Amino acid sequence: MAIVESPTTPLELSPGAARVRRPLGGFTRPTATTGWKSWLFTVDHKKIGIMYGAASLFFFLIGGIEAVLIRLQLAAPGQKLYSADLYNQLFTMHGVTMIFLVIMPMGAAFMNYLIPLQIGARDVAFPRLNAFSFWCFLAGGIMLNTSWFLGGGPDGGWFAYAPNTGVTFSPGHGMDFYAVGLQIVGLASLVAAVNLITTVLNMRAPGMTMMKVPVFTWMSLVTQMLLLFSLPVISVALFLLTFDRLWDANFFNVAAGADPLLWEHLFWIFGHPEVYIIILPAFGIASEIIPVFSRKPIFGYPFMVFSGIAIAFMGFGVWAHHMFASGMGPLSMAAFSLSTMFIAVPTGVKILNWMATMWGGKLRFTTPMLFAIGLVTMFTIGGLSGVTHSIAPSDTQQTDTYYIVAHFHYVIFGGAFLGFLGAFYFWWPKAFGYMLDEKLGKWHFWLTLIGFNLTFGPMHILGLQGMPRRMHTYVEGYGFEFWNLVSTIGVFIIAVAMLVFAWNILRSWRAHRANPVDVGPDPWDGRSLEWSVPSPTPAHNFDEIPTVSHLDEFWHRKYQEDEAGKVVRVATGEEVAQKGDGTGVHLPSPSYWPLVLAVGLLLIGYGVIFNLGLAAAGAVVLVLAGFGWGYEPADDPEAHHGPEANGDEPAADGDGAEREPVGVTAGAPESDEKASSDE
Amino acid sequence: MQSRPERPARPATSSRLRRGRLALVLPLTLLLSACASYAPQDTLRPKGPFARAIDNLWDGVFAIAVVVFFFVQLGTLFIIIRFRRRHGDDELPSQTHGNPRLEIAWTLLPAVILAVVAFFTLRTLFDIKEVDEDDLTIRVVGQQWWWEYQYDTNGDGTFGEGDVVTANDLVIPAGVDVHLEVTSNDVIHSFWIPSLNGKMDAVPGRVHPLMINADEPGTYVGQCTEFCGLSHAYMRQRVIALPMDEFEAWLEAQQEDAEMPDPDEDPEAFAGAELFTTQCSGCHLARGINDEEFEAQGNGEELLVARNAPDLTHFASRGTFAGATFDLWVDADGDEIVEADEIGGELNRAELEAWLRNPPEQKPMAADHVPEGGDDRVRGMPNFNLQEDQIDQLVAFLATLD
Repeated sequence: MAIVESPTTPLELSPGAARVRRPLGGFTRPTATTGWKSWLFTVDHKKIGIMYGAASLFFFLIGGIEAVLIRLQLAAPGQKLYSADLYNQLFTMHGVTMIFLVIMPMGAAFMNYLIPLQIGARDVAFPRLNAFSFWCFLAGGIMLNTSWFLGGGPDGGWFAYAPNTGVTFSPGHGMDFYAVGLQIVGLASLVAAVNLITTVLNMRAPGMTMMKVPVFTWMSLVTQMLLLFSLPVISVALFLLTFDRLWDANFFNVAAGADPLLWEHLFWIFGHPEVYIIILPAFGIASEIIPVFSRKPIFGYPFMVFSGIAIAFMGFGVWAHHMFASGMGPLSMAAFSLSTMFIAVPTGVKILNWMATMWGGKLRFTTPMLFAIGLVTMFTIGGLSGVTHSIAPSDTQQTDTYYIVAHFHYVIFGGAFLGFLGAFYFWWPKAFGYMLDEKLGKWHFWLTLIGFNLTFGPMHILGLQGMPRRMHTYVEGYGFEFWNLVSTIGVFIIAVAMLVFAWNILRSWRAHRANPVDVGPDPWDGRSLEWSVPSPTPAHNFDEIPTVSHLDEFWHRKYQEDEAGKVVRVATGEEVAQKGDGTGVHLPSPSYWPLVLAVGLLLIGYGVIFNLGLAAAGAVVLVLAGFGWGYEPADDPEAHHGPEANGDEPAADGDGAEREPVGVTAGAPESDEKASSDE
Repeated sequence: MQSRPERPARPATSSRLRRGRLALVLPLTLLLSACASYAPQDTLRPKGPFARAIDNLWDGVFAIAVVVFFFVQLGTLFIIIRFRRRHGDDELPSQTHGNPRLEIAWTLLPAVILAVVAFFTLRTLFDIKEVDEDDLTIRVVGQQWWWEYQYDTNGDGTFGEGDVVTANDLVIPAGVDVHLEVTSNDVIHSFWIPSLNGKMDAVPGRVHPLMINADEPGTYVGQCTEFCGLSHAYMRQRVIALPMDEFEAWLEAQQEDAEMPDPDEDPEAFAGAELFTTQCSGCHLARGINDEEFEAQGNGEELLVARNAPDLTHFASRGTFAGATFDLWVDADGDEIVEADEIGGELNRAELEAWLRNPPEQKPMAADHVPEGGDDRVRGMPNFNLQEDQIDQLVAFLATLD
């Protein structure tokens, strides 16, 4: 927490009174450390990260089923497996689900879990706000998906161009769910952005200057900056759409003088930074995995960091390349064409730096490494087709065809998603204390790679042959038959690959339960600080907050130069890792209020669509939760200090001023630890 | 799995590499074979100067992209083979942290290549976007789910009122620049004939210019490319380019009114015309047949959200109907496209009858009832529950509207 409340207030008569004091809000705080309650009310960044990951995989299942249904319909020309109406809902929800409920929270999962560990902190800056982000995201995801049972899903495409999303053209409740549901999901991301930016800027371990921050955390910081500045734009657009649909506000009503291009601009001013929001965390992941399995530091760390920042800045100036056919003048087209072209430069730098990192290394082809190499090669294809979009005249042929569909799947699936899959394999032992099976992992990788290329490779051809997107069917005789069939076959290979993944998780877990093997803190010979704590990570993360003197701090504690100036191993990971003893560590306390607040938001969401009375009830819940939250100290003075600390708090209760904020603690390094690394 | 005698394990990398190579080469093979099959909407087979300018630009960019593609993929493959860790090798590799000179070089090199690309891009862009107001100008109007074309034949500088108004088939003279003014009556659509030029969005309340030019007379197909609701997949359009003299004759003929069929010579068509006048005047006009009824019922603006339905005065002079979803004539040469010279041949009676029997069943539309006007409007053509003999009469009548 950035703001730490004193456990004693001026009104208290004696330290003893704190024992009976209850936080205003009326309830005793939750205390469970195991069982479902420990998850529902947790403020632990690791549990929240795991819940983000689990939720994103669950939504991936839903979005994947939608994808399979889409491909089934398009397997052959003229098929009528479902109506045009249902098909439109399917592709809309596929896009919305995969972007907002899969890829973004998957990034959030790794950011939540890893950022505090990589910067040497015990939690994020605002732990309860972090819990709220997750529940708010889940509320939005539930809201969006319940639309299927409450009159049908949104049918205007994830891009939702006005006026096709107006009540006249989309009379059901689907687009209401889109507008309100995404608003709630967006709020979750905005809150998380504030939280994580604060965390990275303020809570780094002593000695960790910005240029010693691991690349993943750097890219996460850049991503959160993008979110902070782009989400308000889509929030405004969604409010306009909501008011338009529910209360005839006429923002996008052409008959009332509106210009529908207003929506397009607002959407893409958010929507293009969104592309980098999706891909940058995966770039960070590749920059963590590739050095570990090349046994070399990342090549050109400053270039990697600054190219990420450059991408983020330029990412705000390229949005209108989504609109080259929307009737802009040639001068505007030229400007956006140029900016789009040159954003390829920092992106290309990253690709070449990854290759240079591998160059001269000793490559170990573990599953995470395979996925990371998959990212480098597949994203390159998406990047190259992206450059062809920047050629504005050429883009007027390609835009809104399957060529675009191919392009962004090579970016989002071939780039971001492959990266995340690698990340699951890489950090799984850190989160759960056991490895995922390597052999099944390799099956998973190769099936994914083949299925992915079979599904999306042919779409390049289909697009160049003139097949538009978002068609519920296509006619014979236009040369679309063969490649559509290939693509549908491909999607089933992806489905099999994901079943292998699920089977891998299940089997590895069972094997671990039957015969637990300690993977140790550092199963991969890792480089950054998360590998210096036991696996699974203890609740308090670090026994002592480390003092950082290098980029790749943990690696530098294992490897030193010998007298001849040759870098040799001086210690194993186990020897220099922390022992997981949390004595005396005070952690932020669990809380009911983040969950209650999110439930209030969910009620308001349904309420504005169906019944304003319900919305009012939701508002009451929201306000009450806000009060409860506000009067509740961030950390409960009665909470135990660490797992074995029952009652032996050092000097604590009488003098609150001595309690230091979690994570900001500048713990002095253990002298013996330092000695071992210096030898 | 059955047990087998132990075999010496193959070096793992070799099989991995073979599979890796397959995975890398496959997409490219697919891409290169793209030109093999028949695809009338192919963006890489330009049939006019605008599309050709774009195609030339694409060729150059594609060549550069292929080089970069091979550099990265083969480079990665080489690195994977060359720098794989050998069994038992526990030595640390040399710990390079970077090479600023190299990195600056590979930042600048792409920038320079892109600057060259940018030069050609901008030149082409300003070329194909240059609009000459003196060229033949046609207003192109999108609505759910068909295109209307308006020619300013009365020369008053506006489109629609008193002008030739057609649908589905955009007829132009071949070999000259034609200036289209693209707009919409409801949601955003996009007009696209890939072999003639890139696409242009039809945005309600805005008029966007698009230049097209077809080298040769012929029929060029395309379809709506901005998602526009239920029948987006069935919103098609075609350009029929005619030699200039034929185009002028065509435009002349389009200005004629339709003629009432003779009740004695063709009683079925006459009955169809009567039926058309009573049943269809709320939306459709056939000049010379139902002008008064059409005007009395609000000029077709009362029942539809788009306030516009296809002008049927010269219905049978077109190659397609229902938003170019269906061919109006049987394709005589079997190339899937009904060309100008096949119009007026053998009527595609089956699909026309099926359409009149129940339009929303043939093409998804938001028209589940016959509307009454006011707030009760539909999008598309509802089912009028016509009897079979009424359908025959209407078909006979429509066939006379050439």
